[in-house]
Amino acid sequence: MRGDLGLVMLWMLSAAKECDGTSPPGKPALVGCRSPEKETFTCWWKPGSDGGLPTTHRLYYEKEKEEGIHECPDYHSAGNNSCFFGKNYTSIWVEYSLRVVAFNALGNASSDTLDIDVMKVLKSDAPEAVTVLVDENLNTPCLNISWKRPSKVDVTKGWVSLTYELRVKVQTGLDWMMFTEVAQNSLRMYNIEPGVTYEVQVRCSLDHSSWSDWSKATFVEVPGYFRNQRLVWTLVFVFSLIPFLAAICILILKRKLVKQWILPPIPGPKIKGLDAQLFKSGRSEDVANALIANQNFPPTSVCMDQTEEYLLVSESNDWLLTDPYRSQRKKKSLLTPSDLNLDPEIQREVSTPGHSDREKSKSSEDEKDDFTPTSRCQSKENMSNTEPLLLPPPEKHQNSSVNVVNEDAALLQTTCENVVQAVAGYVDIQQGENTQEVGVEQWAYSQVKEVDETILLIKSHNLPVSSASQPREGSVAESVPTDYSRVKEVKGDNMVILHKDLHKSLCKKKEALDTEWTNQNTKMPHSSDCSKGMCLEMIGDGYVDSVPRFSTE
Amino acid sequence: LKREIKKIISAVWVGIICLVFSSRLSTMKAASICPNDQTGCHLLPLANLFDRVIQHSARMHGISDDLHSEFELYFLPSKNQIGRVSRNCHTSTILTPNGKENAQRIAREELAEIILKLLVAWRDPLWHFHQSMSQHDEFTNFSSNKSLEMSDMVHELRKGVLKVVEKMQMLGIISNSVGDTGSPEALLTSDSAEWRFMKDYDLLYCFRRDSNKIQNYLKILKCRIVPKHGC
Repeated sequence: MRGDLGLVMLWMLSAAKECDGTSPPGKPALVGCRSPEKETFTCWWKPGSDGGLPTTHRLYYEKEKEEGIHECPDYHSAGNNSCFFGKNYTSIWVEYSLRVVAFNALGNASSDTLDIDVMKVLKSDAPEAVTVLVDENLNTPCLNISWKRPSKVDVTKGWVSLTYELRVKVQTGLDWMMFTEVAQNSLRMYNIEPGVTYEVQVRCSLDHSSWSDWSKATFVEVPGYFRNQRLVWTLVFVFSLIPFLAAICILILKRKLVKQWILPPIPGPKIKGLDAQLFKSGRSEDVANALIANQNFPPTSVCMDQTEEYLLVSESNDWLLTDPYRSQRKKKSLLTPSDLNLDPEIQREVSTPGHSDREKSKSSEDEKDDFTPTSRCQSKENMSNTEPLLLPPPEKHQNSSVNVVNEDAALLQTTCENVVQAVAGYVDIQQGENTQEVGVEQWAYSQVKEVDETILLIKSHNLPVSSASQPREGSVAESVPTDYSRVKEVKGDNMVILHKDLHKSLCKKKEALDTEWTNQNTKMPHSSDCSKGMCLEMIGDGYVDSVPRFSTE
Repeated sequence: LKREIKKIISAVWVGIICLVFSSRLSTMKAASICPNDQTGCHLLPLANLFDRVIQHSARMHGISDDLHSEFELYFLPSKNQIGRVSRNCHTSTILTPNGKENAQRIAREELAEIILKLLVAWRDPLWHFHQSMSQHDEFTNFSSNKSLEMSDMVHELRKGVLKVVEKMQMLGIISNSVGDTGSPEALLTSDSAEWRFMKDYDLLYCFRRDSNKIQNYLKILKCRIVPKHGC
């Protein structure tokens, strides 16, 4: 009974106790410690249940190789449930063994021990005063990020070293740009986009231990355009516009000049040696001068001497012996083919020394020489004195007879203008214009068929003298001679010396020759001519008529 | 006459420049980079030397840290064993400053001596550690190479620190009391055999701590002697 009572009372007491709600404290737990600058450190704990009674906590620690248990020097500096170890109580490279004990009226509870080395619990505060600026002063705009070290950390003594880390991202983006191992207190970030807001954060680590927390995010807005870029571009635009406008104005004002420069006028044709200006005056002298004046004729003694030479064409020797041309000094004749070999019976009086050379040589210069300047037409009266053309009766002869055409007569009867026309190289025997003094009704081009020493013009016309000679295939007048030779000189008034070079070979003109021989007994077919080596080659400029070329033996 | 004068003047200039250069070259051989004697300018080579040894020691500490972490993976010591009893480094007899103020307070010569003592004390143990590591098959080649590197670095760092001390003594910064503590007699006086009884893991732990000490002491020494060059 007594025992039962005792049990009941005991039970009631315990129940009463529990009904109070008090108990010894629960076991606290050490959360951790941290040293922000490697000179002090703080430890925190988490208390257990307090058991309903006011509970106190005490921290006890032991240091490596030091005897004795010590209690926390400072419970308040770091807040509740913390223990702050000041500089005097902090030892680096020393292991601390810590434990917290909770006390209340009913009992105490001790936490597990925690061994720390301060070097292991280094964790700095975040960097301070992170400022970000958009730097537009340089050629490329950039973000200028700068910060300050955590205030507690002393880096001057070499005791601790700080290393920074940055991260930047576009505010609306997701990816961070990391910059690691930054030792300085500033950083420049390039490649920024205009019109974008950036977010920047910095953190640091002491002696390469654990990283601090990230600093508070700093935002910066990059302007939509860069100020100096815009300025530069507007300036460039304005300044480039001015010369452009100026160039356009100049082009418009001077468009004629520009047109001339771009498309230069094509120079008109110009004949060498021909002065076109003289033609404009309209005077005959000027015209003649324009045509002739600049020609570089080699000096010809013939020109200077004003001698005239004529070709005598005659069949008979008697005629030849007369020396009509000696008596007269006639106007100089036209071209003389130089290489014609005439019958020695024909005596050609060479009044000037140079003639013989020119007769024999064929040169184009000589042809030119013999262009008589038209100014010497004055000797018209002389011309009239020339003997009429002697046309020997056409005879057949092989070599000896020479048919001479008094071309000179024809010439002399022409006016100066006609002579002028003949200067072009032709002996232009006017048709129907001239007087018929010679008794020639029509003058036309005749072909020289045969030459002995000099080339003779054979005038083909309907002369009664010549009518009997040869059948003609056509009127000579109508027939246009196709072969020409150049008159080298005219001797007397009935002798013409032709150049050797004749522009068309007689050989080719079989039919032409046939038609045009007058007073010609000997009619040589082309082929025979050619076979005998009597073909003439005619050259093409300024000719009287075609003349067969002979080769003398 | 003008031309000759000009020639003479130019020759004189050339001669002056040559003289200046040669004088500069000669002075540079005396290990002073700055021509004029600014304060601290003549200490630039010393600062460079310090930087080199500090870098060296930092690398050494890094390797020891890596090895220690690797050991922790293989040999997780039970919590009960961690205590100040079990971990008794053989270098604990060397009195080392444990705080910033303490390190600032002691004499430069003493600090230099402590560094050298530490380096000497670890020469043999590390060598043996490397030997034992290479014999065990469970360690990878990577770890084995690291231990060898660590062992070599202790040697080289000691030589480097000796050079720095020499330079300081030459410059008159510290007295000549800092002797070569690597002599065989010094070794014998130290705790020669204690380290043989230590386990590898403890050895690594101790060395990690000591290499950190060496690095810090060197930094402090540099900032005390040549403070203007990056402190």
